[in-house]
Amino acid sequence: MTIGDAVKAAAVLFVAAIMQVSIFAQAHILHGVPDLLLVTLVSVALLRGTIVGAAGGFFAGLLVDTATLGQLGLTSLVLTIAGYWIGRYGETTGRDRVHAPYLSVAVVTVLYTFGVLLVQFVLGEHAPAGPMLQGLVPSIVLNLVITAPVYGLVRRLLRALERADLATEVHLLG
Amino acid sequence: MAPPHRSARVAVLASSAQRSRSDRYPSRVRSSTVRRLILAGLVLLSLALLTIAFRSPTGGALHDIQGYGSSALRPFQVAAERVARPFRDAYNYVSTLADAKSENKKLREEVRNWRAQALVTLAAQKQNDSLKSLLNFEQGPAYPKDYRAVNASVISFPSGPFDEQLTISAGTSSGVKLLAPVMSADGLVGHVTNVGPATARVTLITDPDSSVAAVDLTTKVTGLIRHGQGNTLILDRVPKEAVVTKGNVIVTEGTRDRRYPDLYPYGLPIGQVLSVGRSDIASFLTVQVTPFANLGSLDAVAVLVSTKPAPSLP
Repeated sequence: MTIGDAVKAAAVLFVAAIMQVSIFAQAHILHGVPDLLLVTLVSVALLRGTIVGAAGGFFAGLLVDTATLGQLGLTSLVLTIAGYWIGRYGETTGRDRVHAPYLSVAVVTVLYTFGVLLVQFVLGEHAPAGPMLQGLVPSIVLNLVITAPVYGLVRRLLRALERADLATEVHLLG
Repeated sequence: MAPPHRSARVAVLASSAQRSRSDRYPSRVRSSTVRRLILAGLVLLSLALLTIAFRSPTGGALHDIQGYGSSALRPFQVAAERVARPFRDAYNYVSTLADAKSENKKLREEVRNWRAQALVTLAAQKQNDSLKSLLNFEQGPAYPKDYRAVNASVISFPSGPFDEQLTISAGTSSGVKLLAPVMSADGLVGHVTNVGPATARVTLITDPDSSVAAVDLTTKVTGLIRHGQGNTLILDRVPKEAVVTKGNVIVTEGTRDRRYPDLYPYGLPIGQVLSVGRSDIASFLTVQVTPFANLGSLDAVAVLVSTKPAPSLP
């Protein structure tokens, strides 16, 4: 991971966060809302691993909470964990699998929603399970719809890992 | 045999030879300890921010920093919103085209009724003003004469089922104050719950924690406006013996007792009664209200800033 890569990842997440709060958050379709930021974070984490995933999640969450004057730290907390978890999946079993972005987006959409619900509940804020469940399936579908273009774009922007970056040697034993 | 792209120096491999975990992925520093430490640090930092923000949601150094951060991000949000607006307008145009004809007919009829009613109201208002002056009647800020509107565009929208709040492009520098009422051209939207130098957060009247003292303009029945199913509101706490009929207009009730001043002045239009339900086991009527303001697609709002000091305690 070079500094240029980190800057690109930060810029991608910045644009996604701004677009999410200003444009995508208003696109209510069948009670669901597409989450561009979450899909972008999943893409970045899958391509760049745990540390970038966690740091990117924290940064993106902080941006959202700041831009909306919301509860500072709430989105950061959930996105940090989501970014780390997806990064770990990308480093291990999800590596080079075609279905990895789709599976990650579907699972993270569910976990993110439940995560926010849990944090809201712990904070004593209103946490309605009904509307959440009502919008969950449409949100998953909408996120899956935008996964292919977003993942493709992020993959183009963030340099694809070269063979040299991957494991190329085996150690001699004895 | 080694794959051709690998620079294998393999001579002899034990059958149990495995690549170590850290070698699997492109990083020289990504040992599991470092990874976990970074995660733990970020989680702790998030929790610290959450705790501080929760303890002082509308004040303190962190709130000020957040306010300045929000102001810095505002140009980007405004730009994104402007880019998206033509597409949103096109979508709204197409989606409302289907029922435009029937709506037009309905609106024409409504205009006829409102015009007749406006004349009656005007006469009543004049009489009311003269009676007030005769009585030397003192009251808190009255809408609209004692309020100044700060117009602002909406730069972020509610992001999910938990979030009945939006961010607007005006803050303390424009005179926006905490708890100020917010309206659209159609009706009441909510009130300001957080304010920074150039942005403010507005909690909508559909928020579960929001309640607005309201009155039926026709029957003078009072109640509390709370969130309802979907995009509707509920006029709560209306006694069963009260008379409320479909189509009645609901407005804010305003301050009734000087000791407990209301956030909203009297007369802000909220919505229209959609249905009235009555059941034997319920203590109150179930009055469903359709909000006048289209809370799902707000482009611009007006924050009402009082130009007259609120009524003080005796």
